[in-house]
Amino acid sequence: MVEYDLVIVGAGPGGSIAAKIGAEKGLKTIFIERGRVSGEKNSSGCGLGPRMWRDFPELMKELTPETCPSLRTCEIYVLRWIDMNGRMRGMQGFTPSNSVSYDPARKWHTKNVYRSEFDPWLAKFATDAGAELKTSTLVTDLMKDDKGKVIGVKTDKGEEIRGKIVIGADGVLSVVARKSGLQVKWPKDQVTIVPQYDFSCDKAKVDKYIDNMADNLWFGANFPGAYQVFFDEGMHLGLGNWLASFTEGRKSPLAYLNMVLEVPEMKRILELVDAKPREIQSHLLPWTSEPCPTQTDNVMLVGDAAGFPCPLEAEGIYPAMITARLAAETAVEAISNGDTSKSALKRYEERWRKSSVGIEFEGGRSLQEIWRATIFNPETMKWFVPFYHEAMGAFADWSEPHIVRFKQIFEAIRNVYLPKLQPLMMKYVLPLLSDVLEEDISILPMLEGLMKQMRPKRKGG
Amino acid sequence: MKIELSEISERVGDPGDFLSVDHEKCVGCGNCVKICIVNIWRMRGGLAYIADDYKEKCLECGGCWQVCDAEAVNFKYPAGGTGVVYKKG
Repeated sequence: MVEYDLVIVGAGPGGSIAAKIGAEKGLKTIFIERGRVSGEKNSSGCGLGPRMWRDFPELMKELTPETCPSLRTCEIYVLRWIDMNGRMRGMQGFTPSNSVSYDPARKWHTKNVYRSEFDPWLAKFATDAGAELKTSTLVTDLMKDDKGKVIGVKTDKGEEIRGKIVIGADGVLSVVARKSGLQVKWPKDQVTIVPQYDFSCDKAKVDKYIDNMADNLWFGANFPGAYQVFFDEGMHLGLGNWLASFTEGRKSPLAYLNMVLEVPEMKRILELVDAKPREIQSHLLPWTSEPCPTQTDNVMLVGDAAGFPCPLEAEGIYPAMITARLAAETAVEAISNGDTSKSALKRYEERWRKSSVGIEFEGGRSLQEIWRATIFNPETMKWFVPFYHEAMGAFADWSEPHIVRFKQIFEAIRNVYLPKLQPLMMKYVLPLLSDVLEEDISILPMLEGLMKQMRPKRKGG
Repeated sequence: MKIELSEISERVGDPGDFLSVDHEKCVGCGNCVKICIVNIWRMRGGLAYIADDYKEKCLECGGCWQVCDAEAVNFKYPAGGTGVVYKKG
């Protein structure tokens, strides 16, 4: 039997950060990966957000095209609106806005890398710090003492690896979460399935035609929101929705993804960059308004294993790294104090709740309900796409005198869309605004008044 | 664009048996069929069946296990260092 201070299951971004910090602080640390290398079994890689550069500056400054050749920076994200017939009815794109509070977030939205490059790159910081990395090894169970407390892990090779603390950084189907009883199975409305194609692309053509517009969102009237992310010489196209939407619906997740491929504007882009399908991937992604319980005696969960992806946009790598750092720091303290009990590890939860990750979950439910009610709800998108199109339709429209057009648009919105928009605003948007603004909710009565004033002249619509 | 999934997926080693269904528990709801990206589930006589060649197709997402309310699907990850590999994940 081998004994460690810290046994970490998983060598993705969460596992590697926990291992790096544990080893740096003098803990005898091992992190265990079921792939032959980190990143081989990962969840889909996409964009790294600027908060990673703010919160892990020493690390992230070393992420370059030399260390991760797939790197492409997105400065402008592009949003496209697709109607029921697959026709693009509008598009828009934005750089970060002027009120963004720190560099480098003023300059770009995401840096896009393949996980097959990023994860091994990150794991090396942990091994350099002295953590032991064990690959090609599946953790199948937890070792427990006669009181049922976790004292280590068991592997598919029959090994028993003992640890004072076990950190579960093993993703959505976490064995550590299941076997410790922290989360047995995600409810179907708290976890999504995300099929994704990878395409090879002609690098010169991506440079020329896509350039820094590397993140593309596709909002469709008859498919759940899809994303398209460009890398140096490749591209991901994926979409997801909560499992319940598929078990209650008729179309399969892949059928929806294939619908996006048939959108003529998508075909045009694929042709422009000479895109060729290279890999099919599928992952579950916890997308929840509240993480599961995150600690028990001798055990903490980080990243996807605990449901930490951002409740609005499901960014997962940053929350995994932040929660892993907090868990490792808590582990160092707990081991040094000789108390790794559930009540001592409660300190971990106190810390993540105060962190930038915890702040996201303060508005978790409101944030998620808007999303579920809109771009992931086909019933809403059937009218929301034409509504949005109508609302934006006043520009470069020379069909009538502008005064006449404004009136036509206003009446269309009032009569056709407002009866649908108003309940959505009242139910989802105003509560969120009220949460966000806290001290300054004086605009809310004004908004409500305005919406009542705009009430349609005719019933129905 | 017609994409042949079998041509864009790579697997290594012998994963062992990692997916099975308990017909005593299966209630024939078909959730596993609906959720699977690579079509390895079939309904026959009100029960769910797994394709014989599932090891060559499964993407190991665990979706079938997650959606099975009857707890009839047994899924565990394949042995360490085997199964599907994502080179461009």
